[in-house]
Order: sequence, then C-alpha cells, then structure tokens
Amino acid sequence: MSELSSRRVLTDASRLIIEAAVRAGANVFVGYPITPANWLYHYATQRFPTTLPATDEITTLQWMAGFATAGKFPVTATSFPGFALMVESVNMAYMMELPMLIVLVQRLGPSTGSATTGAQGDLLLLRGVISGGYPLPVFSPSNFEDCWELTGRAVAASLQMRTPVVLLTSKEMVMTSRSFDLSRLPDIQQAAWPEYRSANGYLPYRAKPAEPPPFLPVGNRQHQVRINASTHDASGLIRKATPEALANTRRLQEKIEAGMQKHMLFDYHAAPGSDTLLVTYGVTAEAARDAIRRLREHGRAISLLVVKTLLPFPPEALAILRRYARVLIAEENLSGLLRELIYGQMTPASVLGVNKIGKLISPEDIVAGYEKLSSMPSNPNSEAQGGKRS
Amino acid sequence: MSTKTTNLLTDMKMPFCPGCGYHLSTRVLARAIEKAGIHPLDVVVVSDIGCCGLIDGLLRAHTVHGLHGRAAALAFGIAHGLADASKKVIAIQGDGGATIGLQHLLEAARRNVDMTLLVHNNMVYGMTGGQVSGLSPEPVKDRKMPDEKDIPPFDVVELARAAGAAYSGRIIERGDYTDVLVEAIQTPGFSLLEIVGPCPAHGIGKIKDIAGMALQDVTYRSDREPHVAPRRETHSLFSQLRSVKVDFQANLQGRFSLIVAGSAGEGVQSAADLLANAGVASGLHATKKGDYPVTVGTGFSIAEVILSSEEIHHTGIEQPDMAIIVSEDGLSMMKNRLTDTRILLDAALSWPDAPGSVASLPFRKTAGGKGAALCAIAHWLRQENLLPVEALQQAAAQHKLADRFLGIIEKAKTLAGS
Repeated sequence: MSELSSRRVLTDASRLIIEAAVRAGANVFVGYPITPANWLYHYATQRFPTTLPATDEITTLQWMAGFATAGKFPVTATSFPGFALMVESVNMAYMMELPMLIVLVQRLGPSTGSATTGAQGDLLLLRGVISGGYPLPVFSPSNFEDCWELTGRAVAASLQMRTPVVLLTSKEMVMTSRSFDLSRLPDIQQAAWPEYRSANGYLPYRAKPAEPPPFLPVGNRQHQVRINASTHDASGLIRKATPEALANTRRLQEKIEAGMQKHMLFDYHAAPGSDTLLVTYGVTAEAARDAIRRLREHGRAISLLVVKTLLPFPPEALAILRRYARVLIAEENLSGLLRELIYGQMTPASVLGVNKIGKLISPEDIVAGYEKLSSMPSNPNSEAQGGKRS
Repeated sequence: MSTKTTNLLTDMKMPFCPGCGYHLSTRVLARAIEKAGIHPLDVVVVSDIGCCGLIDGLLRAHTVHGLHGRAAALAFGIAHGLADASKKVIAIQGDGGATIGLQHLLEAARRNVDMTLLVHNNMVYGMTGGQVSGLSPEPVKDRKMPDEKDIPPFDVVELARAAGAAYSGRIIERGDYTDVLVEAIQTPGFSLLEIVGPCPAHGIGKIKDIAGMALQDVTYRSDREPHVAPRRETHSLFSQLRSVKVDFQANLQGRFSLIVAGSAGEGVQSAADLLANAGVASGLHATKKGDYPVTVGTGFSIAEVILSSEEIHHTGIEQPDMAIIVSEDGLSMMKNRLTDTRILLDAALSWPDAPGSVASLPFRKTAGGKGAALCAIAHWLRQENLLPVEALQQAAAQHKLADRFLGIIEKAKTLAGS
C-alpha cells in the first residue's frame, strides 16, 4: 500500500483500531465516554462517517442494533462498567443476528475499580455473557499489528456470521504510544453482509444449516423483514419453543462454531526440546516475548503460545497444550481466567498461573513463574512424557 | 410515497385479551397508515416486550421486536440508519416500557429524530400481574397498591414536549382517532402519542373508569427541524501522523527507561511525547504512556518513556533508569514507587531520604511550572547526550506550541552544568 510506504510514526493502538474498523467497512460509531476507551471514541469522531453520542451504554447498544437492521455496521468502545449495562442488548443483537463490533478495553475491577489501570479480568464474563452459554466471538490483540489485523478480521467475521463480536483489549494496549512502521500493516478488505439476492419469497431467518440467514435491511420495498429478539421461527415471528423455533436457536450456536473455524488465530513458537509451554493473550503477550528471550539467553528452552481468538477457544491450541509436560499461563488477574477456561476447576498440578493485578505482568514475573514451575512435578500424561492424548 | 397501498393488517387473529385496548389501537394504526397513503413496506414497527409486543404478526410492515423498554432507542437507530423521510419508523411501548426506557424517549425527543412513539398506557403492567407503573394514575394505585397512591404519575406527553418533540399528544381511547395518529406519523421529527386504553384483565375495563382519572386529550406541536445524523467524508487517521525521519544519532545500546512525574496541566505528557519523538528521530524505538487520576485537570501526571536500540515488547517499567520529578503531586506518587533510581528533582522539592542519587535543580524557577518537565529533559540531554538535544528541538519545532517549547529548551541552557 503506497500510502503507507515505510512510514515510521509514533502512534497509539486506538488509532489503529479505529482506522482498521472503517477500512473493513464499519460506518457508524456510537460512543459513551468511559476511561480507558476514550481515545477510540475520540478517533471515531474524526474517522467514522457517522458518530453519535449516546446517553448511556444501553442506549448505545440499542442505537447500534437499529443501525444494523438498516444495513449499517456499528462500532462502540467501552470498559467493564459500560459493558455490564450492554449485556441484555448484546443478547438481543445476538438473537436478532445483527453484526456489530464492541471494543472492550479492560481496566482494573471489581466495579468501577481503577479507570486508568489496565487488567485482563473480563474473559469469563464474555464466555458466559450470552444466556444459554452460546459462543460470542472474542478476538484479543497481542500487539499493535494485531490491533490492526484483528479489528479487520472482527468486522469481517461479524458480518459473515451476522453476530456481535468483541475485540478484547486493555488500557495498556490502547493508551500506549509506540514507534511503529505503518508500512508493516497489510491491506484490509472491505467486508459485506451475506446479502439476499433471490427474487423469490424472503423469510428473514431462513438459513442453511450452521449459517446465518441472508440479509435484507428493514424498510426495503421488496420483502417484508421481521427482526426478533425473542425465540422465533424462520419468518421472524415469536414462537414459544416450537421445534422450528428451537432449531433456529440451535443454529445460532452452530453458525458460530462453523463460521469461526477460519478465524482460529494464535501464534505458536515451539522451542526445540522444550517440555514447557508459556500461554498468554492480550497485552501480557508482550511481557511473554521478552521473558522467552531472556530465558533463551540463559539456555532455557520454553515454547510460547499467544492466543488471539479467545472465544471460541481454538481446538488446535488445546492440541498444542497437550504436548507439554508443564504449562505456564500468564494473565493480569488473580484467579486465572484463561486457566479456568482451559482446565475448568481441575487445573493439573503441572500447570501454574502467573497472576497479578494493578500492574502489567513483567518479564521478571514470568521468569520467576518458570523457575517455580520447573521445580514442580510435570504431567506424566502429556505427549512430551510419552503419554496419550486425553 | 407509494402509489399503491395495501391493508397494513394480516389476516391473523388478534392475540389480545377480550376488551383490551390494543384491538382498537391496532385497527386505528392500520387505518392511519392507509389514510396517509403509506405503503406497508415503507413502515417499520418496532415493538417492546409486553402485550404491545404481540402486534408483529398482525402487520404487513417490517417489524422489529426487541427488549423491554428499549423500543424507542432501537427505533432511533433504525430511523437514523435509514435516514429516509419516506420511511415511517413507529415504536410501540406500554406504560411500563415507557418508564424503564424513559431516557430513550427523552433523547429521541431532544434530538427530534424522525420517528413516532406510541405509548399505550393501560395503566398497569398487564403481562406480569397488573402491577402499578410509573404512568398509573392515583385511582389505579389506590386500588392496587394504596401505599403508592399519593405518588403522582409521570406525564410522558409533557416530558416529551419539554425535551423538544415536534409533536406530543394524548388521546383517551374512545371512538376513531385515526386523524390524530395520521398527524403524529406525518409530523417530520419526533412525535409521541400517549394512547390511554383499558386493561380488562386487571380490572380497568371501561373507558368511563379512565375518564375519571384526570387524564385529558392534549396536543402540542413545535416546528423544530428533525435531527439528521451526520454523514461525513473523512480521511485516513494516518494522514495526521507525521513520519519521523532518522536525522540524528543516539548514544544508546539496549534500553533506557524514564519516568517524568509532575502535575496535571503542566505539560508532563507533551514533554514526554517530544522526547519519544526525538528518540525515534535518533534511530531508537520508543514507547510512551501516561498515568493520571481520573480527574484530568488536577492531581498527578506521570509519563513513562522507554527508549531502546532494540524492538520494545513489554512497556512496563519496574524501576526506571531515571526519574524526573517536577512537582509535589509527582513527588508524592514517586515516593511509593522508586526504590533505587537516579532522580532529577526540582529544587523547590525536598526528599531527604530519597532512594538512589538525587540531583536538585531549579526547573520550575527556570521555565515555570508548565515548562519544568521539558526543561529537565532538555537539561538532561545536554548533560548526558543519550540523544542530541537538537532532536528534541526538531520535535518541538514541529509541534503546534513550537515557540513555547523551543523557548523552554533554550532556557534550560542557563541551568548549572548545561
């Protein structure tokens, strides 16, 4: 892209995310101010064709859903307190099958916590946020390049599956400036709705198995469109748990599982001979990259898995985890949300968390975790130990 | 507008209780659309949860069935998304929905977005047991929840009027009010019509009951222009970014981290930005971040800068290689943070038991409170030449406050040792 040929600049990731979203086809931003997501809102007012200031986060999501039924692609940026207000409306958009992007900038909780302190505390909230446990796609950028690429990817995936998508990041990612060469950024293609093109009768929720229905905006003169947040049939009319309506609801799960198969993103760097894997995501991946280098300089081989598609969790990433006798999971929270996502309540003794709140996890924290893990028993069932896959 | 209209109503049987006001209001809505000559597919009906949400299947229009209390906000998004005066977006809420979503209807009225909100006030929560709502008149509360009877109901018509609606009115549901509804729907901008009707399932069966409730037919009109959401041509956010060319040579192998601690509004962040830019212009990698309380104009302001000859991943600073402290606010934050660091301290500040080595210089006195941070950075660069002070000057020269910043960098020369 000639516009970007070898351009070293000092920029922050909020700028990259907003620019990427617009290039991917987003055209409406609805904002409600909240630290640490304000820079995204600020850039949106300069870049989006339409930006509206909502009166609260429920209004934000409702306006966004309205824009989406008219064929627009809406974006907002928020943090936990705002996202908490959006929860019912995110469910609404999920049930209605409306695309939109929510950039969730994590900050220290609980509650209002510390608005200007980063965190990684919202992963399991997102895992359970759709009533019934249906998967809500969540991407988490691990560096500036990811902020660009995953945003474009998130918009495309959202349109392709007709679903809300979350970009999960942190204060420390979107409010830090870096020297950065913009020419490193690949092009982003503009994404589009799965549009209805047949002249035959249209049923707004008639879809192929495990796919979203083709889209028509409300207000069109050709076909009646019914959009519904309650359990509904193919025509979009409310139905109380009829087989057809339940099949439609089941399809919501199936379309995400099928549609996300091509969006299972992670970086895996296998260190030859290593029986230990460091797993992380988001801003902590930057500390992990430094820690891996330090350990390597001291002759310690450790592999690194940076997960970028957090939900649904990539099966291939699970397969990688099984290869290792010891696993270290670094994340900026106390209880180990990624650890619980992977292992539930049965974390093996060969798995150790590096956890912290109130401050970025440092490379030193990870190195210390590695030293501690090395003195612990390894998993006798891992493939590294010649065990079988469970 | 359409040349051919068809009946808005499907042949579905109405799902409402016998005697419910929705029978009449649904028929009146259909008559109004037909009388106004509007094609059913130019109509988008947005409905709430509750009895009013049963209307979808009765309509040949586009229908959007959302959450309890949010129809006005959802319709707002649709109206702005369509941005087409020939499309009629009509939201339907009950009295319960109107109060849970009161903010939404006030906002729609304030912006005068081109839509209609029908508030069907049957004075109770009909679907959940006939509980009192924010629009229940005193006589209804006297019967259902006497403790509440002296609390007056909201008057949504007056609220919408005060918020700026182009049209707001109330109709007691007796006879044919098609013409009233036609006017509401045809009004450019936000129109609210409260339709007061019976809920026989919960003992409000007769219009004459309602007549005794001190509710009156009323109409307010205002000729405000509807709000149209902007659609702007915009340009890449990258076009605002200045490319930094490497014009200078840094004297740094590895990583150097610096914390600048001062007060909000005293140029701490911009001074750190200039240093980061100067670092990039000297061939280094750089990161910069700010830390401050939620208040913007008071309290501490801390900037963290990392300069490195190698790519920077982790941007946290455990202990900086140096700290510049230029105000009491900054000092009080650093007292908990620094354990062994070189410190450049403003001469007006005192830290007798500071950890590490302290050099005390009159930055504030030399360059003023708002120049102290940049003054200290310029002094330090001249002293130690981690990168040329000329790189800082170049970065300052490209800033919109160039004259002021260059003046500060110049003044730093007068400090001892500069």
